[in-house]
Parts: sequence; structure tokens; C-alpha cells
Amino acid sequence: MGVLRCCLLALLAVHAAALTLQSPRVTVTGPDAAQLFSDSLSVDGPPPTLTLGPDDALKLTFQVVESEGGKGVQPHQAFLRFYDETTGEEGIQPVRVTPGGKAKFELNMSKPPASLPPSSTAPLKVSLLLGSFTHAPAKYTLFDLHVPPSQPAPAHPDEPSFHALPEIQHTFRPEPVLPPRPVSATFAGLVLAPWALLLGLWSQIGPRVPRLFSPHILPFVASLAAFEGLLFWYWVDLRLGEVLLYGGVLSLVTALTGKQALSTIGEWRTGKK
Amino acid sequence: MAGPKTTASSVSSSSSANALQTLWKAYNDTTSPRLKLVDTFLVFLMLSGVVQFVYCILVTNFPFNAFLAGFGSCVGQFVLTASLRTQVNPTNRSEFKDVSPERAFAEFALGSIVLHFFVYNFLG
Repeated sequence: MGVLRCCLLALLAVHAAALTLQSPRVTVTGPDAAQLFSDSLSVDGPPPTLTLGPDDALKLTFQVVESEGGKGVQPHQAFLRFYDETTGEEGIQPVRVTPGGKAKFELNMSKPPASLPPSSTAPLKVSLLLGSFTHAPAKYTLFDLHVPPSQPAPAHPDEPSFHALPEIQHTFRPEPVLPPRPVSATFAGLVLAPWALLLGLWSQIGPRVPRLFSPHILPFVASLAAFEGLLFWYWVDLRLGEVLLYGGVLSLVTALTGKQALSTIGEWRTGKK
Repeated sequence: MAGPKTTASSVSSSSSANALQTLWKAYNDTTSPRLKLVDTFLVFLMLSGVVQFVYCILVTNFPFNAFLAGFGSCVGQFVLTASLRTQVNPTNRSEFKDVSPERAFAEFALGSIVLHFFVYNFLG
């Protein structure tokens, strides 16, 4: 609590001793040293607009004083800020202030400082930033300055990375199409042709199945047929798990009937021998 | 010069035709009807597979799963049936002393059911 109170007191003290400008004055001179403009600036009113030609020079003088007492103060930091509102470019120029608080800044457009930002046709807003350990910080808007337009600001090397990429257009393989109907019909006939051959040859051979309907054989044949029917059903409707379940049950039945049928056939065969 | 050559080639062609005829006659006479039954089934499977493959090459393989199922069923059934025929052939009796024809048929049926399960799986 004590520390906080100390801080609050310090803040109050800082606020009590604010910095202000005394007799700020700006002068614009032409290339032949003729005075084109000269006026004292008012810190509170609307900022005046100044125009600098390519060979003109601007001179700014002011004194930093305490708002109470009018004693000259040397702030620990004093900067002029040139800001272009349209492009967002800004330049910061330190200003040297004497221990008495007096400061003088000169801007010669024939030798512009590196801190002057790239300029366009829009004016640069010039403001003064003051910082001090013992006083509250201060910011004063001084004037708007028209300077000759410079080269456009160079683009940042990473600037292209901060744009939206072109939309990705996916290209898909074209949907496969069925062949024309006559071709399909022809090949369907060709695929069915071996069936005709098979049935024709079998009718010539004339297989005899004399014991197909005996009670020993028929269950096995029926369970085999049931298996094929189950698989067909799987194709049409069923899911894998159901097929495996039914097939498991059916396989038990088929194994029993098959063992019975085949052992019967084996007895017939060995008996015949 | 041309004469002997043509006679020689005609003689060889006629002898090869004779050989084929002899082979066919011997097959017809000595093969049991049951084996002929299996053989016709093998021929059927082969032709069916060939037609499907030709269709896949010439026209399209568009329902590729259907082609896989059809062609695979032909090839697989051919292999199973060929091994059944080998095992039940009476002249191969000495080769398969432990395998009775009934066991061969049971293996054939089991293999066929498994094959058909996969085929219907592919059929989609």
C-alpha cells in the first residue's frame, strides 16, 4: 500500500509540472535567403499549413519551459515527428535542446535529412514529442508541411507475402463414362457366349447324377447352394458382419452335411471297387 | 528348289494335323465323362476370362471393381478346378495316394466358397 501511495504521489507531482513551449516560431526562406514566411505558432489552435519548395529552407525555434514559473527546462528527449496520414509513412528527427530549454531545428530541402519520410502530394503532419523523467510527457502539433513529392516508398521485401494467395482451383479427372450401348450389348453377348458353349458341351457329354436326390447327398448340395445364395444376398443387401455371422452358422451345417455326404460317396466308391 | 520345300512343308503340316487328330481321338476315347465335364468347365472359364480381359483392354475398365471380380473369379475358379481335376484323375492315383476324391472335392468346395466371398466383395 505504501509503495502504491508513493507512486500515486509521484504521478501527481509529475502532472503538476507540465512542459510547454514558449515562443515557438517557424521561418521559411527561399534559395536566395529571402524570407517567404515567418510566424509564431500557437500550440492550441489549428495547425497552419506551410509549403516548402525544392530549394527552400525551414527554420523552427522554440523554448521548452515549465508551465508554472516559465523556467527553461532541458527535456531528456525531444523529437520532431513527420507523419503522412495517407501513406502511413513517418520519420522521427531528434532535436537538440540546450540546458536552458532553447531549441533550433533547420530543414533544408536541397539537402533533406534521412529522417524525412517519403512524401506524396499530401502534407506531412509535424508534431513535437517531449519526454522527461521529471515532467509529464507532452505532444504538440506544430503545423502541416507540404514538401515536394519524393520517390514512392520502397516496398518491403516481405510485402508480397502479406497478400491473399490466388484461389486454388482443383482439377479433377473427368468422370468415367459407360461405353455406347451397342458396344456394351456386343460384349455382353460375347461374355454370355461361353455359357452357351458350356451348356451345349455338357448336354453332349450328358452327365448323370443318379444319387443327387438321395437323403445323404441332397443336404450337402443344398447347403452349398445356400452358401451361394448367402453370398448373392451379401452382394444385394447384407453387410459384412451379418454375412460372417450367417456364414459361420452355415459353415457348421455344411461341414456336417459334407462329411456325411462325402463319406457315403466314399463308401459307395470303395464298395464298387 | 521350290518343289521339295513345299512338299516338305505340306508333309509336316499334314503330320501335325494328324497328330492333332490323334490327340483329339485319344482324348475322346480315353477320358471319362466326368473329366470331360470338368474340362468343358475349364474351357468355359478360360473363354469367359479372355472375353472379359479383351473388353477391359479394348473398350474400358470403367467399373474396375466389376472387372476385377469377374476376371478374378474366372482365374481363381480355373485354378481350383484344375487342381480338382488333377487330384481326381484316376491316372494320377499314384501321385495323390493320401488324397481321396472326396477330400479333393471338399477342398474344392471350400476354396470356391472363399473365392466367391471375395468376388462378391469386389462386385460392389
